[in-house]
Amino acid sequence: MSVIQTENLTKIYGKNETAVTALDRVNIQIEEGEFVAVMGPSGCGKSTLMHLLGGLDKPTSGIVRINQISIAEMGDDELTKLRRRKIGFVFQFFNLIPVLDAAENAALPMTLDGMKPDLARKKACEWLERFGMANRMKNRPDQLSGGQQQRVAIARALVADPTIILADEPTGNLDTHSGDEIAGLLRNVSNDYNRTVIMVTHDPRIAAYANRIIFLKDGSVIDETILEKKNDNNAGLVADKMKKISD
Amino acid sequence: MNIQFRLALRYLSGRKMRTALTTLAIVFGVLVIFGMNIVLPTMITAIKTNIYAASGQASLTISHITGNLFDQSLVENVLPINGVLAATGKMVRTINLPKNYFDQDSEKPDRVSVLNLQGLDLDNVQSVHSFPLQDGRFLLPEDRDAVVITQSLADKISVKIGDSMRIPTVVGEKQLTVVGLLFPRTLPGDEDIFVNLPYAQEIMNCSGKINLIEANIDNFEDQGKRDEVVNAIQERLGLDFQIGTLNSNEELLGVMDMGQMILNIFGVLALFMGAFIIFNTFRTIVLERRYDIGLLRAVGASRSMITGMILIEGLIQGIIGSLAGIVSGYFLGYGILRLAQEPMSAFVNIKLGTPVVPPALVGICLLLGVSISVLSGLIPAIKAARITPLDALRPSVADVNYRKQTGIFFLIGSIFIGVGILLLFSDQMSWIAAGAFAFLLGLVCITPAVVRPFALLFGKIIARIYHRQGIGELAQGNMARHPGRTAITVSATLLGLAVAVAAGTLVSSVSISVANLIKISMGSDYLLVPPSVSLWGTNIGASADLEQKLRAVEQVDVVSSLRFAESKVNENSVSVLGINPHDYPWAGGLTFVDGSESDYDQLNDGRSMFINSIFAMTVGAKKGDVIELATTDGRKPYRVAAVVNDLLNAKVTTVFISQKNMEKDFQVTEDIFIQVNLKENADINAADAAIKTAASGYDQFTVISGKEYSQSLMNQLQTAFSGFYFLLILLAVPSLLAMLNTLSIAVIERTREIGMLRAVGATRKQIRLMMTVEGLLLAAFGTILGILGGLYLGFLFVKGIGTFMPSEYIFPLSGVLAALIIGLSFGILAAVIPSRQAARLDVIRALRYE
Ligand SMILES: Nc1ncnc2c1ncn2[C@@H]1O[C@H](COP(=O)(O)OP(=O)(O)OP(=O)(O)O)[C@@H](O)[C@H]1O
Ligand SMILES: [Mg+2]
Repeated sequence: MSVIQTENLTKIYGKNETAVTALDRVNIQIEEGEFVAVMGPSGCGKSTLMHLLGGLDKPTSGIVRINQISIAEMGDDELTKLRRRKIGFVFQFFNLIPVLDAAENAALPMTLDGMKPDLARKKACEWLERFGMANRMKNRPDQLSGGQQQRVAIARALVADPTIILADEPTGNLDTHSGDEIAGLLRNVSNDYNRTVIMVTHDPRIAAYANRIIFLKDGSVIDETILEKKNDNNAGLVADKMKKISD
Repeated sequence: MNIQFRLALRYLSGRKMRTALTTLAIVFGVLVIFGMNIVLPTMITAIKTNIYAASGQASLTISHITGNLFDQSLVENVLPINGVLAATGKMVRTINLPKNYFDQDSEKPDRVSVLNLQGLDLDNVQSVHSFPLQDGRFLLPEDRDAVVITQSLADKISVKIGDSMRIPTVVGEKQLTVVGLLFPRTLPGDEDIFVNLPYAQEIMNCSGKINLIEANIDNFEDQGKRDEVVNAIQERLGLDFQIGTLNSNEELLGVMDMGQMILNIFGVLALFMGAFIIFNTFRTIVLERRYDIGLLRAVGASRSMITGMILIEGLIQGIIGSLAGIVSGYFLGYGILRLAQEPMSAFVNIKLGTPVVPPALVGICLLLGVSISVLSGLIPAIKAARITPLDALRPSVADVNYRKQTGIFFLIGSIFIGVGILLLFSDQMSWIAAGAFAFLLGLVCITPAVVRPFALLFGKIIARIYHRQGIGELAQGNMARHPGRTAITVSATLLGLAVAVAAGTLVSSVSISVANLIKISMGSDYLLVPPSVSLWGTNIGASADLEQKLRAVEQVDVVSSLRFAESKVNENSVSVLGINPHDYPWAGGLTFVDGSESDYDQLNDGRSMFINSIFAMTVGAKKGDVIELATTDGRKPYRVAAVVNDLLNAKVTTVFISQKNMEKDFQVTEDIFIQVNLKENADINAADAAIKTAASGYDQFTVISGKEYSQSLMNQLQTAFSGFYFLLILLAVPSLLAMLNTLSIAVIERTREIGMLRAVGATRKQIRLMMTVEGLLLAAFGTILGILGGLYLGFLFVKGIGTFMPSEYIFPLSGVLAALIIGLSFGILAAVIPSRQAARLDVIRALRYE
């Protein structure tokens, strides 16, 4: 059963002459436990898609369904609750609140939901330990490396047991090594915990961690590729495809 | 702990400098209000009691029309009357002393020839008067021959505490023991000596009798209420008794009342300013934290949570700031009273005591401080809730709506300013005050629009200056990119300086014009002053003999006298003063509101009169009108020849007519106030002696030199104004600190930007220079606007005051210069300290600041 489904999803920014069609009648369907990468040239609408899927922005037309329910009818408070409980976000920048420590940042969705801080912290710490952050719980974001910050963000995205994780270029800011680690983490999340992960990336090597890749160009889906598991050629394959699209 | 609360606390403790500065803004606001409210009442109470005490006047005096003695028990009849707060019976006798009584030396002139013996009923006299002692103790009920005298008398007759002094009495000479010394007399008149009432009755052989009841009444300031009480007393005691009221026209009291009003206005301004700064801080907080807020929204914080978080921050700061403000306000008030003590006691012997803090004031200040902090945070908090998660993901789009908002604000501001200017034409103090507010508000509203072209222009200039150093582009942005921020900083400077300049204008204008008036009104060389100045009716005058004698003195050039009669116009009581139109301009003189010196002649021309401003206002008369004055011979038409003012009668409904007319219509020929001018190059010593000899038979007059007299009046005014200056400082210092505060916040806000500049290669020196230049420009702009606003406000205030007391606008040149210097140096100061810090920041930390 599909966790996320879009119907003719369209987003147009601005009006008249200056109008930009960021997304043009996009129809996608994503199943539970899938790890999907979204790729495409800069400005093709990847971030816009993520924002619409996460209920951060409203589409110009078309429908987003999450667990078969259209989110268009939801009010701000309902959407807020949805994000809190069903969706975890990982962004490229500005992922963490500077005045909270790592554990507190990771625990945010639960504390915001009214959970007792002690309990929330305990759960957050469990996730952070899994990501090898056991000795960094009490550090503030400005005392963490970029990779460590992204781990905290992923822990935060997972802590409330959401069904969906949306990650917009989570490795864009990291070196190859850290990027690999984060991508690996996301794959484990999808494999071991059966979460649905949607990740935007420019890097074919990172995209190769996914099960399926959706290619966007000028706001439309132009291709999809299902990847065989653990194939070392995957990265090369993706790179070739990207090159073709860009031309 | 609630997550909002925890976040609020974290943000507060994580941004210590910012938190301290915001809290400080609240502290200043509360401090001003609290401090002012403990200083003012303490001062005013002290001054009021002392004016009565010093002049020996309660608000009401009751005596038998014949001046004879009456039964002591009559006090009991007065006390229960509604509106009478306190009453006391007195036995007052003038004791004329034989020649050389104290000094026993016929060679030396006697320094004391008349004493006023006052027998006081110690059971209740202190509820009517206060007797501030300089030394020793006051009378006690069990005292018999104890006496309390003034320091000035003690000096004249060379006695000190413990010494005895003799006085002639009905039952033979008595020796009294001096037990206490009151502060020296400042007003002219006879020296009082105070003894117990029973003892006074004993030595004057009139046991159980008194000749005066003095009472303090409620709502003394309100003429209507006062009349009610007076009528009730009259009814109770019968027509054999006469009731004198002390008009509420005591100059000093008037000035103090006015002062209280002005200071209240400034208090509200200070509060407005405090609120503005708090608002500004929260606004920048929200702007700065847009990423955090967007992120919180993205991970599931609801709108109300965001609003709540900002408001909790406001609440915490409000509570801490208000408490600190109250504590420091107390100490400031205490310090000011201590400082003011010195000049106050030097001039009018006023003892201020420690400030009294009513518990309600603490409550009100706390409530005011907290609610203003929370309210100021409300708009930014609501704005914060509107930040969408997407705002966290996109680069800053601050000031996008700037142009549109600027237009609206400009419109609103222009309307406010228009209203402010229109209200200038009102002659109601309250409307003018409202106009002042509207004007300030308007200035703040139009600042963003005015600032924009300025910011763009100077942005370009700065860019050019720094062009060669490679950071031109970046530097240019700062002011132009954030016109909103620039506007806020400028507004804060503007408000702070406007308040200070306006207050300075007001104080200097009023004090200088009153001083001028004193010089004009009291400009003569010698004055023969009756015991009560401006309460003419209570004085006993002198026949024309005295005037003749004075004219006969060789060195005398001009003698001019005042005569007094009471009259009515419609239902209004009016003081009628008879002058000699030929001499009066030379010795005394009036200031003309409508008319000129040449109009004096008209007074000789049939029934003509000058009216003062108060008369013009209460009766609604103007130059050229004909008005009927009640005379002893029925109503007579008088034509208004001019509208004038003088110092003594400034607050009493008064008309001036010629002495000829006064004799004809009022049958008054008694002089109650005489002014004497000497010939040029006259021998002062000889003149002094001759004039004193001429006046020797007229003990009701005190002969003093005009200089001394105007000096003593000036001293009283100085006291009132010295209090003002202290309060002004109390008000101006926080305003200026608040300005410093805002400027610093503007710099702190840019830590990240500075980090960026450093990262792209700006040296520390460049950063420092750039920030300083910018701070200076901001301050300069704010200072100029502030001075303009302040000048206008000051003008308004002076005009407002002019509706009920003489005041003339005086351009506060030194105030403007001071404001300019202060504004600019604060600008540098505000930029230098934080920019030094900013320059020292290491690049990495600055970039990670947010
Ligand atoms: N708020 C906005 N207003 C106007 N146009 C926008 C806005 N946000 C995005 N766009 C436009 O929509 C298109 C898609 O933007 P989007 O951010 O989704 O691209 P992207 O695929 O994420 O690009 P990148 O890989 O560079 O992040 C772009 O052409 C962009 O200019
Ligand atoms: Mg993008």
